[in-house]
Amino acid sequence: MLFLGKELIMTKIFNSETRAPYIILSLVFIISIYPFFYMIMTSLMTAGEAINQYVFPRSPMFENYVEVWTSNNFQRYTINSIIISTITVLGVLLTSIPAAYSFARIEFPFKNLIFYFLLLSLMIPEIITLLPHLLIIRGEIIPLPFGPTWMNTLQGLTVPFMGNIFVIFLLRQYFKKIPNELWEAARLDGASHFYFLTRIVIPMSMPIIVTVGLFTFIIAWNSFAWPLLILTKEDWYPVTVSVYSFVREVGPNFHLLMAACLIAIAPILILYFFTQRLFIESISNFGIKE
Amino acid sequence: MMNFYRKHSEKLIGYTFITPSVLIISLFGVFPVFFGMYMSVHKWKVFKGRFLGFENYERILGSLSAFWFFVIGLLFLILSYWVWSEFKDKFKNKLYVLISSVLILIIGIYLINSNWGIMISEGDDDYLYSLIQTLYYSLFTIIFEVGLALVIAFALYQKLAGKQFFQMILLFPYITPAVMGAAVFFLIFGKAETSFLNQFVGLFGIEPQLWLFDKRPITEILFGVKIEGLFAGPSLALTSSIFYGIWSYTGYYAIILLAGLSIIPSDLYEAAKVEGASRWQTFVKITIPLLMPIIFFLMLTGFINTFQAFNSIFVMQTSSAGDTMDVVTIEIFDHFWGRVKYGYAAAEGVILFILLNVLAISQYVIFRKRINYD
Repeated sequence: MLFLGKELIMTKIFNSETRAPYIILSLVFIISIYPFFYMIMTSLMTAGEAINQYVFPRSPMFENYVEVWTSNNFQRYTINSIIISTITVLGVLLTSIPAAYSFARIEFPFKNLIFYFLLLSLMIPEIITLLPHLLIIRGEIIPLPFGPTWMNTLQGLTVPFMGNIFVIFLLRQYFKKIPNELWEAARLDGASHFYFLTRIVIPMSMPIIVTVGLFTFIIAWNSFAWPLLILTKEDWYPVTVSVYSFVREVGPNFHLLMAACLIAIAPILILYFFTQRLFIESISNFGIKE
Repeated sequence: MMNFYRKHSEKLIGYTFITPSVLIISLFGVFPVFFGMYMSVHKWKVFKGRFLGFENYERILGSLSAFWFFVIGLLFLILSYWVWSEFKDKFKNKLYVLISSVLILIIGIYLINSNWGIMISEGDDDYLYSLIQTLYYSLFTIIFEVGLALVIAFALYQKLAGKQFFQMILLFPYITPAVMGAAVFFLIFGKAETSFLNQFVGLFGIEPQLWLFDKRPITEILFGVKIEGLFAGPSLALTSSIFYGIWSYTGYYAIILLAGLSIIPSDLYEAAKVEGASRWQTFVKITIPLLMPIIFFLMLTGFINTFQAFNSIFVMQTSSAGDTMDVVTIEIFDHFWGRVKYGYAAAEGVILFILLNVLAISQYVIFRKRINYD
């Protein structure tokens, strides 16, 4: 019986209908994965093996990770990145969830006008915003709370990214679908909007909240030009800036660079691994709806 | 007081909920573009200097009127498409529509070509040159991304075992942070004879290449002919970064296209099968036409995104590639970060903003009808 099952699967895979798709997908699989494979293998090599670019290390050198982790403040930069990204995600969710709820379910004057005004920010290329951001952060345009200037500070790295109309847009679509009868019933029981939002809407919307959280985390983890601009001291260097300066002065230390990259990508891969189903689903939905 | 509150509490709560987002997005999302315009008309090096008017723009573009005629030329291209799509079914004689649309197209191309010439001869070569690099980067990345994504999506659409698994793998490149991904590609595309790619092409008997360190145009390397100007194509260095662009986004597009494929009614395929159509025929005759709206959409948003590509190219930049890797974002970043010319960089940014808006307009014109389609 078991044998028959296996047989069936084999014929299913290798019949002429599916041969071409499998060949294509295998190629895609190899190309998608190879850079990761390369990174992992190289990170386990000695300097010499890495420079000659062997495919496999003769014996895996796990010491490389220890060396990278303990040298050049790399662990500090990784922790910085985790702190920066986490705070950004929390900030985005904290501002966006109420806003999306309000845009989706509360009536107030000029609602659509305000929403379209915010949508304008999607039209503006990031590179243009960097320069005015820099002047704002230096405190030259408006007086800032928490200190005269936000250069070299955590708030400078996170606050500018705490409002995101795209996230509000996605959440709003989801909140709109929650049936109005629920709110009617809750209101009869004397619930306020705040109570309804925190006790009913948020628990019901966990899938989309997790997805936008992951999106935001990846974007924050990826941020590079902005930290490069506002950090003149190394205290708050994120891991991207550290990897970048590593690339610039890599010299013969390919293996250490790859070990650093692996450490810097790992948190994202782990997060992705746990949320991939939601993530793929939301990309598919979003692609159609647009 | 209590009464007022009760009467307006709904609205008050509405406004309270949106306040934090509105404050942050207005300040950091919308305000910068206006402030950028303000900066661009001043002499501004770290601190604000005197009012310059459009002097920065004139230095970049050579002549302002040439730039506007250039933009009008671009709009003419869109108009040409609009005339064709709008009137081809309304008139009996399609020939007249075709002729007028082609005429508009020719005027558009003429305007673009002649005014580009004026801008190149009088303006800031570095900036205008960077626009060409950006065009190469966007064009090649997008064509390959969408083309490959189509094939992958179609392959995934067949009823296969392990579809979920392949989907997961496909998004790996997409979620990889660009700086780290580019660092890996920086080694793979290394110039040493032992670099992975050189070993790989060696299997096919191809000479080792300098990849990211080579500023010769791709046509010269492939065909051995020296071409000047636009048709020379991107340098090998830029091509290498184009490979990264393709690698990182194709899977993402494939997932979106796969979602698009699954809403095509399956009886169409059944019918084609009954008629004895091969799979390739079904793909070309049924799948692609029905997916056209999504393909167009991906191409245009892709254009807008790749025009802004920065991180990966910035990391992979090498000094021996010269300015062949300076896409427009890198040029702008270099002007204010490296050379502290804030006003000038702001003007360059505003020009990019205008060009991106032209792209957005074309997106609107092309999709105006498709949006109401279903």
